[in-house]
Amino acid sequence: MKEKLAALFEQGKEQILSAKNEADLQNIKAAILGKKGSLTEIMKELPKLLPEERRDFGQAVNKAKNELSELVEKHREALKLKSAEVPQDFDVTVPGTKPLKGGLHPITQMCYDLNDAFRSMGFEIFQGNDITSEFSAFDTLNFPPAHPARESMDTYWLEGHDTGDADKKLCLRPHLTGESVRYMRTHKPPYRFVYPGRVYRNETTDARHERAFFQYEALIVDKDLTFTAGKVMIKSILQKVFGKDVPIRMRAGFFPFVEPGFEIDMECQVCGGKGCSVCKNVGWIEVMPGGTPHPNVLRAAGLDPDEYTGFYVNIGLDRMVMMRSGVDDVRLFHSTDLRFLDQFC
Amino acid sequence: MKVSLNWIKDYVDLPEDLDLKQLAYDLTMTTVEVEGVEDLAERFDKIIVGKIVEILPHPNADKLKICRTDIGGEIKEIVCGGINLEEGMKVAVSVPGAIVRWHGEGEPVEIKEAKLRGVLSYGMICASAEIGLGDLFPAKEEAEIVDLSYLECEPGTPIADALGLHDVLLEIDNKSMTNRPDLWGHYGLAREIAALYDLPFRPMENIELDEGSKTMALDVLDSDRCPRCTVTGIEGVYVKNADYEIRKRLWEVGQRPINALVDITNYVMADTGQPSHAYDAEVIKGHITVRRAEEGEALALLNGKELKLSSDDLVIADDEEAVGLAGIMGGKKDSILATTEKVILEVANFEASAVRRTALRYDNRTDASSRYEKAIDPERVDLARTQCIRLFMQHYPEMKISAWNDVFGKKLKCSEIDVSLSWLESRLGIRIGNDVIADKLGRMGFKVVFDGDNMHVTAPSWRSTGDISIKDDIMEEVARMYGYENFEATPITTSFTSAINQLDVDLDRKLREYLALRCGMQEIFTYPWMEDRFIDAVLGSYEGMFKLSAPPSPTERYIRSSLLPNLCKAVEKNQYYYDEFAIFEGAQVVKDRNYTNVFFPNEYLPEQKKNIAGAFVAPNAKFTDLFKKAKGILENMSRYTHMETLVFEKVEKPVWSDENVWLNMTLGGKVVGTMGLLSARVTLDCGIKDKSVILFEIDIDELKPLTSRTNHFTHLAEYPINEYDVSMLFDTKVTWKDIEAAVNELKKGHDTLRDVVFIDEYRGKGIPVGKKSVTVRLMIGSLVKTLKAEEITECANAVIKRLKKTFEAELRA
Repeated sequence: MKEKLAALFEQGKEQILSAKNEADLQNIKAAILGKKGSLTEIMKELPKLLPEERRDFGQAVNKAKNELSELVEKHREALKLKSAEVPQDFDVTVPGTKPLKGGLHPITQMCYDLNDAFRSMGFEIFQGNDITSEFSAFDTLNFPPAHPARESMDTYWLEGHDTGDADKKLCLRPHLTGESVRYMRTHKPPYRFVYPGRVYRNETTDARHERAFFQYEALIVDKDLTFTAGKVMIKSILQKVFGKDVPIRMRAGFFPFVEPGFEIDMECQVCGGKGCSVCKNVGWIEVMPGGTPHPNVLRAAGLDPDEYTGFYVNIGLDRMVMMRSGVDDVRLFHSTDLRFLDQFC
Repeated sequence: MKVSLNWIKDYVDLPEDLDLKQLAYDLTMTTVEVEGVEDLAERFDKIIVGKIVEILPHPNADKLKICRTDIGGEIKEIVCGGINLEEGMKVAVSVPGAIVRWHGEGEPVEIKEAKLRGVLSYGMICASAEIGLGDLFPAKEEAEIVDLSYLECEPGTPIADALGLHDVLLEIDNKSMTNRPDLWGHYGLAREIAALYDLPFRPMENIELDEGSKTMALDVLDSDRCPRCTVTGIEGVYVKNADYEIRKRLWEVGQRPINALVDITNYVMADTGQPSHAYDAEVIKGHITVRRAEEGEALALLNGKELKLSSDDLVIADDEEAVGLAGIMGGKKDSILATTEKVILEVANFEASAVRRTALRYDNRTDASSRYEKAIDPERVDLARTQCIRLFMQHYPEMKISAWNDVFGKKLKCSEIDVSLSWLESRLGIRIGNDVIADKLGRMGFKVVFDGDNMHVTAPSWRSTGDISIKDDIMEEVARMYGYENFEATPITTSFTSAINQLDVDLDRKLREYLALRCGMQEIFTYPWMEDRFIDAVLGSYEGMFKLSAPPSPTERYIRSSLLPNLCKAVEKNQYYYDEFAIFEGAQVVKDRNYTNVFFPNEYLPEQKKNIAGAFVAPNAKFTDLFKKAKGILENMSRYTHMETLVFEKVEKPVWSDENVWLNMTLGGKVVGTMGLLSARVTLDCGIKDKSVILFEIDIDELKPLTSRTNHFTHLAEYPINEYDVSMLFDTKVTWKDIEAAVNELKKGHDTLRDVVFIDEYRGKGIPVGKKSVTVRLMIGSLVKTLKAEEITECANAVIKRLKKTFEAELRA
């Protein structure tokens, strides 16, 4: 009997370890340990033994049952782990699946970058209208009546609204500053806002000139500001755009709506200021006009220029994207060409 | 404007060690933008004076000669086709390395030693145009080489030395000095440079004319338009070349020398910035009158234009007719002729805006008009007249001034401005000492008197024509002379009241980010004008659209009242590159209606709304998926962008959509947007091929952003919720909305029926015509216990029974 048990035990071990999957294992387990299993059957032969032998044999059978049960569970786990394994020759160099396409227009991206920077400095974001009057576009900005920009060569006038008094003539806004005055008129000072928007000029287009392009205006108006407060704004913009401090210089510039007015140059990012063809060998690139709003502009905004002053800058977003991403044709921004836009997601 | 540094030196001695780059930098930083600095002599590098020693025939060409030329210490053979070659002649020789233009045309090329028709030629004997001297040494014929025999220099002398071409030219951006009429000339710029570097300035000395001969008749009938006019009769002149120095300077700054009588007035304009005009005295009948033109009066200009004048124009006239358009151009009748012996020199001041109006009216802007337009100081007339007379005397020592006159009807008052020193300090951010301010302003001709906190400033006449008029102008003068670079950036301080909360601005951004970043659409920008073809196709009407007076093209005239035509154009364009894509644009649309007064009293602006619109594009075969994708994006938009939920229902069909496949988006019953399938007709008319296009357009201004997130937490299920899928056959007319409503109705009596979800719809093989198979998933579960299998089946059977009853639906096998 003992020999038979030993043989059954060995045979059971072998069968269990040979199981290829969990179902096999389950069948084998039943065949050995089940109600009609071999070890259960052998117990039925217990009466054939001498009484003094029965206890030992019973214990031996139970021990064998327990050991085999453990082995079954152990092998079950081994089979589980094995089935969870991935092939060892799986190629991890295969490229991953691309996420959804789509993205924001590069100009929107630039605009949001700047919005975030200015919001963090407590600036509001203003959104104005595309169509404005000559009055808002020029008169409130201290443009003399005969200023060339008023003529059709520069501004898109609307047919049927292109003659008469300045407040009756309508055009696609040629710049944002006029609407900034409207913002001031409809809000309480002090002002601290940015105004991103598209402007329109009736020009011949080429790689550097567009009829529709994006400006980003930032204006701060408060009491007791010095004209150099603007340097902080300008530096913040360029820091945000280029991800590092960019040297700037403010130099004399003339625009009717600022006094004093500046041309603001940044160090050429192509040559690092050493001089190259992009910057015409001067090491600097003109990036934005700026200055203190002219007293007449502040008056148009309903403010006393003796009490309030400010600083204004106006950035060309198209130009910034071109410099940041190396785009060499401004017309691509309105091209709607997805082969171009796909590059900016 | 081109500026010659040698010319500047007539009026100010620049330090020997002045670095030109520094000068350009300093001028740029404080006054005007210097766009370029050119060393003139560099243009003539490796071009020397040679002397032709012997001329030999060319063995292979009749028109070419071999010139044995002394180029300084050695004789070289040079092949040349010049028609005026002579032995002993001095010529301009380009040696290897020189840059020339063949026949004065085309791209610059570098001279190399080369064989010409089989004969080795060392360099090139040049025509004037070939080395950029065409205007200074005009050739009568193309193949005429420039004859320099008159020069007393040794062969081998660089041509720049021989012709005195050592100068530095500054290129100044005209735009940067529109507000500084005083800088439009070498004299004024020299005055600015002297002030900048604190160098002594040499003012021009006035020539006083004999009061006894102030007898020339002159009438100025409109002294507002012509504040000052001078006329000077000069006899004993004739047409000849101006002195070389005069011609050279004109040529250097980009003007073509013509003859002494013309060159003198051109020179004086480049010198002083003041235009003047010399009339042939013989053709002036009677005396000169400055008057308004008669309406319709005829005037033939020097350039041949025949004008019909307006009474708004100012003319210079003799007793018979107009002879010149004041401030713009002389007339044809009185132009300088070969026979001219007497001239009347007119130097006058004209009012700026009227000159501009007239110049624009006839599209006839000139160097003179562009200077007058900037508003010139009438005192400058003295400078120009003096300089003209001096040059006439220099060119014609025998000349006589017969008579003159000066009608100065309207004197200019110098600007006087009071500036508070404490105000100045607060704006500049630093205190600048009175002595420093007085010095900086004084150098530029300002007079400054201090009295306590007040500074009384009197501007010089040349800065008083509009340029300097308010105290901010004085601040700018002080700041720029002090140096903008010397001001530190001051931090911006603020008082904090509340956080910025701009729901509309944020919603606009959330919408774009949702579509682009979560839904995989690409944002595009299109122009605000539309192409007629796409308006016709998509909108079918031009009603209420604005039109541009001067459109970018004849077929792009209308301003968009909808974003869809341009979107369709973008689809048409991209269909060849991509099979499937999705694009959107957010921009304003306008309509010629609903005018409102926003702030300024008489200003009324039309309806302008912000829209967001998109297009989903896929091959026709994928229409169902495309529609579900588009609808899914729009349906979930409210949730992800935190705005009031849009309702999808049919209210008004868009003109461009398919008869059936369209939906409106509404808020409180009001239509705020539309989506739909572009109809086959419109798709075809847009040139879009074999593609389904789902469009949508939403009025952003009508959307209602939530003031905060409203996601509400619901407890996680404690007991299992079971998914039970049922597929049934329905009539194709039964909509999902109907099925959903019927199941939801059943929830009342069955609280274990938690939800119903659309899984799939199928038509085709195995499904009878007129029927569709719809698979729904029932979510069955209890809040209080784990359901038994029988309980789940019981609930599902109730639903099946209801659907059978309501829609005559059949359970699929």
